[in-house]
Amino acid sequence: MNAPEPNPFTKKRDRIQILGLNRESMLKYFFGGNASLAIVVLSLICIFLAKEALQFFPSHHRGLQLYRLSGQEFVDYLEDESRQHKKAAGYLARAYYGEINASSKREQGLLVAYEELSERLERETSKEALLFNTTFENLLDLQFEIEDSESEEDGAESFDIEAAKAEVTALTTRLEERRRTLRERKTDALKDPGMRELDSPISLSETEFQNIAEAIITTDPDAEDDAPHIQELNRTIDDKKAAAEAEYQDLFTQLEAFRAAGRPLDELIGPLRDHARTTKERAVAAETLRKGKEALLAGAENARDPERRAEFLADAEAIELEEVPYDELNQIFYDNIDAHHAVTSQMMRDLEQLGSQVVASGQTTIAQTNLSRFREELPELLTMLGETNDKLKAWRHDTPFPFLPSVLAFFTGKDWVTNSSWHDFYGFLPLFTGSILISLIALIVTVPFSVGAAIYVNQIAGWREQNLIKPVVEFIQAIPSIVLGFFGIAVLGTTLREVSQLEWLAWVPGFPMQERLNVLNAGLLLAFMAIPTVFTLAEDALNNVPRSFTEGSLALGATKVQTILRIVVPGALSGIIAAILLGFGRIIGETMVVLLVAGGSISLPDFSEGIGVITQPVHTMTGIIAQETGEVDQGSIHYRALFLLGMVLFSISLLINYSAQKIVFKYQLAR
Amino acid sequence: MLLENPNSSLMETPSLEEDAVHTSPSDSGESAPIIDIEGVDFHYGKSKALSDITLAIPEKQVTAFIGPSGCGKSTLLRCLNRMNDLIEGAQISKGVIRILGTDIYDPTVDPIELRKHVGMVFQKSNPFPKTIYDNVAYGLRVGGLTDKHGLDEIVERSLRSAALWDETKDRLKDNAMGLSGGQQQRLCIARAIAVQPKIILMDEPCSALDPIATMRIEKLISELKSDYTIVIVTHNMQQASRVSDRTALFYLGELVEEGTTEQIFQNPDKKETEDYISGRFG
Ligand SMILES: Nc1ncnc2c1ncn2[C@@H]1O[C@H](COP(=O)(O)OP(=O)(O)OP(=O)(O)O)[C@@H](O)[C@H]1O
Ligand SMILES: [Mg+2]
Repeated sequence: MNAPEPNPFTKKRDRIQILGLNRESMLKYFFGGNASLAIVVLSLICIFLAKEALQFFPSHHRGLQLYRLSGQEFVDYLEDESRQHKKAAGYLARAYYGEINASSKREQGLLVAYEELSERLERETSKEALLFNTTFENLLDLQFEIEDSESEEDGAESFDIEAAKAEVTALTTRLEERRRTLRERKTDALKDPGMRELDSPISLSETEFQNIAEAIITTDPDAEDDAPHIQELNRTIDDKKAAAEAEYQDLFTQLEAFRAAGRPLDELIGPLRDHARTTKERAVAAETLRKGKEALLAGAENARDPERRAEFLADAEAIELEEVPYDELNQIFYDNIDAHHAVTSQMMRDLEQLGSQVVASGQTTIAQTNLSRFREELPELLTMLGETNDKLKAWRHDTPFPFLPSVLAFFTGKDWVTNSSWHDFYGFLPLFTGSILISLIALIVTVPFSVGAAIYVNQIAGWREQNLIKPVVEFIQAIPSIVLGFFGIAVLGTTLREVSQLEWLAWVPGFPMQERLNVLNAGLLLAFMAIPTVFTLAEDALNNVPRSFTEGSLALGATKVQTILRIVVPGALSGIIAAILLGFGRIIGETMVVLLVAGGSISLPDFSEGIGVITQPVHTMTGIIAQETGEVDQGSIHYRALFLLGMVLFSISLLINYSAQKIVFKYQLAR
Repeated sequence: MLLENPNSSLMETPSLEEDAVHTSPSDSGESAPIIDIEGVDFHYGKSKALSDITLAIPEKQVTAFIGPSGCGKSTLLRCLNRMNDLIEGAQISKGVIRILGTDIYDPTVDPIELRKHVGMVFQKSNPFPKTIYDNVAYGLRVGGLTDKHGLDEIVERSLRSAALWDETKDRLKDNAMGLSGGQQQRLCIARAIAVQPKIILMDEPCSALDPIATMRIEKLISELKSDYTIVIVTHNMQQASRVSDRTALFYLGELVEEGTTEQIFQNPDKKETEDYISGRFG
């Protein structure tokens, strides 16, 4: 037993050992394992996302190639012209109908008021009306039976006509009685001052109200015609419209001529479009077959079992690939270029002439705005008509679609059209714009509120207020986003729209709002969701400003406000910016609320209204993923497009988090 | 109120200076005391930190507060520029403190204005995370001075008075956090004197510094004495004896003894004082 002399620093052996690990190293590996697991999961997510998402680009490229090969691109050039023509025609039509309707605006308003009021009274007097109707129907039935039995020659056996006739008299008296009650009840209900507060756009004078009330009271449920007053109103409207139509006869003729000028183009497009669609269908079918065959051949290559390989090969053999004769099929487009030239030249001449005839300005604001829009669109249409023919001449169905522009076509595309019978467009811009617009609104609201609240709570409020405000703000975080979305639909949307319809707010851009669900609504809700995040983090940042700074400042004779503005906020600035960035990350990644409240319109919002764009409905990147992922085929181009959106979102979030960390890091070094 | 002209009367009525003329009932033989503490009790919430302190601090002299930890030196010091106002529940429950004859706890006194007259240097140096120049100019700027030349002049003079000019004149635009601990503390002194207070309170200004930096600050204090009244809290007996003219010894919130430094250190009246000074205490 000559064990080496143990030195005093020899490691003590742990009595508990598993697999040669003592307690300490087990703990070490446990925590290390957890950390690496997180990293592995993150990398897997990234790889998976990237793999699916990046496959989008080849598919998209191939799709665009087919779009060109089948002549759809050619047809869409023509469609663009037709669309622009319809847009201009639409403005002209709106101008015309604006003038026509304006002539009888008052009467139409009265009719609306009449309908609203009758509806209300119907609700008020439903019981009396029910009684009246029952009696009325009983009476009708009885009269019908009497008629019946009178027409039958020998029907006197079972039916007592005399008794029935007596009954009819009784019923008629009762009906008159009920008619009286009903009218009395209506008169009473109309005395309620609340009845004068109508939603209708015009306010009624006393006589107008009395006339309408009279018409409503005297119109019983059995009345076959409207009350004379209402009939008169309708007549006046018709007369005035007729007069207006006569007055604006010129505009109407111009409108008709304008529309007619576009018809030859549409007639030209019709068959071409059908032809292109058929070609595309053939191309897609051929493509699917080719892919199937390739898959079978690949399967045969990989199969170990010779029997199965033979099976695969046989199956592959059975598939006959169709070579689509694109050259031949596209000939029709080349043949029609001259026809198109003839059509558009004629159209240009017509439209130019018409454009100079149309009056410069209208009577009503509706007409004025629409006429000025018409004047903006018309030159655009004319240039388009002038240039398209050259584009068509330069077009070749077999020019390969370059790869890079196909990638750009995703990032700059203005249309997101899926499941279309024509061609699926994957344009990222409308969704990205929607997300960014909503986030901007949310940030503009969040930042002052949450940073202000953080400064107040941290620097000014007493502990009693702190103990009230902090938990309340943090409690907001506990509201599930679906509940907030519901609130946005049910309450906020309606309220916002009602506010936007206030007359004295009409100067606000975008007011009155057309839609209840829009950028503003979603942005406000998201701001509400982000406020606790930003508030809590900003408050932390303010808290981290050393007390000695504050004391030093106060000891130099600075006021509380000076100290806050010159020492505390600058000291916490990077923390506050990081808080705002993290809030932004939360906003742009939020799904439920935007899906419910943003309005779901997948088109690029119209920025011509300036800031009023925030009252338009949009769709977002997150929203579209949530909405469409459930119904796409795995591996389809649509599926991959959604993944690509996901990856873009992920990159944005990553970037935001990274910058936030960078900023915080810098800020810690400064101290 | 924020941007008051610093040359106008610095306090709300009654002005410190004016009152000093007709309220100076001092009979100490020398000049009237600039700070006059009379029977002050101080509470943090329910706990009493100072009881019945009466002390007169003469002008343009260095007064040292000494005593064991927790005896209330800092508390008394912070009463003098009302920094205790920031602590919830802290208050003077009895007695008055007069500075230049004005009761500084009078409701008409604005603590912001008071602090422009009574500067403070903290135990742990606390320069703001700004440039050296901005640190010194801070008190002037919050007082409403924006004139560039005036600021330049005062910043230079303050840094010179704090014996920091030579080291920093080429790096005024550098962040003050890059200075050494001793330089930072001198910067804080420069910052305090830039607003030209009457009184400078120093709470253990050298406790985190090495002997050489401490010496420089002590030398600085002796120089500043000709212009300012200085009250310094210290745990270092030698330091107290070296820099101060008068010394006050506190124990458990009470003033044990107070007098010229010479007398306290050489010939104390009380047994406790002798014990504390010679280190035989507790
Ligand atoms: N903010 C406060 N709240 C409550 N009690 C306090 C507070 N500050 C100090 N005290 C108490 O008041 C008493 C005096 O404290 P003070 O800081 O004045 O002592 P000190 O003499 O400066 O001690 P030291 O030499 O250690 O700095 C101590 O008992 C302390 O616990
Ligand atoms: Mg202390």
